[in-house]
Amino acid sequence: MVHVSFRYIFGIPPLILVLLPVASSDCEFEGKSGEEYQNVIMVSLNDLDRLRENDSNCLNNEPNFFKKHSCDDDKEATFLNTAARKLKQFLRMNIHEEFKTHLQIVSQGTLQLLNCTKKVKEKKQPSLGEVQPTKNLEEKKSSKGQRKQDEMCFLMLLLEKIKTCWNKILSGTKEH
Amino acid sequence: MTILGTALGIVFCLLRAVSGESGYAQNGDLEDAEPDYSFSCYSQLEVSGSQHLLRCAFEDPDVNSTHLRFEICEGLLDIKCLNFSKLQEIYFIKTNKFLLIGDSKICVKLGQRILTCRKMNIVHIVKPEAPFDIRVIYREEANDFVVTFNTSHLQKKYVKNLIHDVAYHQEKHEDDWMHVNLSSTTLTLLQRKLQPDAMYEIKVRSIPTGYYKGFWSEWSPSFHFRTPEPKGPGKMEPVLLIVSILSFFSVAVMVILACVLWKKRIKPIIWPSLPDHKKTLEQLCKKPKKNLTVSFNPESFLDCQIHKVDGIQARDEVEGFLQDTFPAPLEESENQRFGGSVQGPNWPSKHAVITPKTFRRDAPLRCLAGNGSVCGTPVLPSSRSPDCREGGKNGPHVYQGLLLGPGTTNATLHPPFPFQSEILTLNPAAQGQLLLTPLGSNQEEAYVTMSSFYQNQ
Repeated sequence: MVHVSFRYIFGIPPLILVLLPVASSDCEFEGKSGEEYQNVIMVSLNDLDRLRENDSNCLNNEPNFFKKHSCDDDKEATFLNTAARKLKQFLRMNIHEEFKTHLQIVSQGTLQLLNCTKKVKEKKQPSLGEVQPTKNLEEKKSSKGQRKQDEMCFLMLLLEKIKTCWNKILSGTKEH
Repeated sequence: MTILGTALGIVFCLLRAVSGESGYAQNGDLEDAEPDYSFSCYSQLEVSGSQHLLRCAFEDPDVNSTHLRFEICEGLLDIKCLNFSKLQEIYFIKTNKFLLIGDSKICVKLGQRILTCRKMNIVHIVKPEAPFDIRVIYREEANDFVVTFNTSHLQKKYVKNLIHDVAYHQEKHEDDWMHVNLSSTTLTLLQRKLQPDAMYEIKVRSIPTGYYKGFWSEWSPSFHFRTPEPKGPGKMEPVLLIVSILSFFSVAVMVILACVLWKKRIKPIIWPSLPDHKKTLEQLCKKPKKNLTVSFNPESFLDCQIHKVDGIQARDEVEGFLQDTFPAPLEESENQRFGGSVQGPNWPSKHAVITPKTFRRDAPLRCLAGNGSVCGTPVLPSSRSPDCREGGKNGPHVYQGLLLGPGTTNATLHPPFPFQSEILTLNPAAQGQLLLTPLGSNQEEAYVTMSSFYQNQ
């Protein structure tokens, strides 16, 4: 009986302490009023749509990234955090300066409003290549232009997902 | 002793150090004060395309800013810090690297040494661009002034919501400014709230509202306008004045015409007088002369020769008879008494004068075939007089009571007068009714018709 009590006393509490961070959110959402999003981030999202208006030759299949990461309930902040970090990878692409500036505003502004912990920030983000592992072999075979086209399609889809998730957060905030 | 001296020396040094750090001065000597490096900044977003402007300056104009520089950190895109540029005493930076979310830190540095820092949010120190193109249009029909102006923020993406302050005053009243706040770029000023025939000056400035906050912009260039002169109480438009004068004269002319033509023309049409039989008869009949005696006494007719008419005789015989027996003319009044019957100069009194008495006695003989009672009706009025010799030459000729003999039924009657040419036809069915027939002359007609009433009137 004494061995059993020791197990419960010294075994379970540490387990709780370890599991607690996993269950809790790592981000402290600061832009719940929606002012920063509507007056800054949404302006950049609209400009990005305008700049990419003519390019609509994208495939309908959803990349694997979105199968892994989605704006589910109680996971909006996590998704936005992941998506915002993903946007940073596109800054290395050879794109127009104005386009790049708006990408930075969306990415950095989202991260600043989420104010996620350091642990989440240090988490390794999948690179563009790992997003669609099944397509690695295909990317080698296709031309550079096609590859760029695919990346741009993925980028526009990512921006659309970010916009939708933001609206979901703010509409949920207004209801409360 | 050595230890004591050392201790005193240390105390003395400490005292000096402490007094030096606290700024204590003896004998009036003052050490140099730390300069005031406080500064203020304002931002202007999208001032040049997508580029933003941040301007800072020291509040103390006496600061020696020769080796000083400004630096901004945090709140930037993909960059940790940015250095300001300097133009005379103003420090500025023009970039599109502002995140516009969260605070930034602006520091004054001397070399690498930080002199002072301030934390401020770029979106909370926004100074809009000054409005321009202010205009005032007077609307006469609405009696108001429409003020319009323009601002470059209408085409911007970030700072779009502004509050505008329109200020106006009379030029002779320097400090008496009126202020109106509005969010649109159009304002209406009522004419009755302004002084008439006065010169006004108007200008406008803006301040951001909502997410973006900051300071008032510079005033726009002023616009000057003059209010119209007041309209006098008796002053009227020229067209209205002419129309009113013409109307007055027209009404006056109509009134005068109405007064002049009232009796002769207007009143008979509006209020026609009804015919009066008595008056009409008086007009038709002539005024009887004086000394007109009327009597039913047969003795008064002794002068008249009365001839009994037994039948219709031939014209020639009658004419001859009349010429022999009636040399003297008859009076006119007798004609009138017959109600239009005229007795010619050759009127046989015998035929004409019928007294009621005589008539009653001879009624069965004198009447046409018919009723005696009807024939008893005196045909001729009792207005017969001894003056029956005189005949009305101007009056109508009437056969009143044709006395026929018993053998003269359904016969045409020939008038006994030479100037009477009409033939009378009697209807035997008309019992005792004596017909008044026109004798046909150039004299006036005997018949009285409705039309004569109107003519006599």
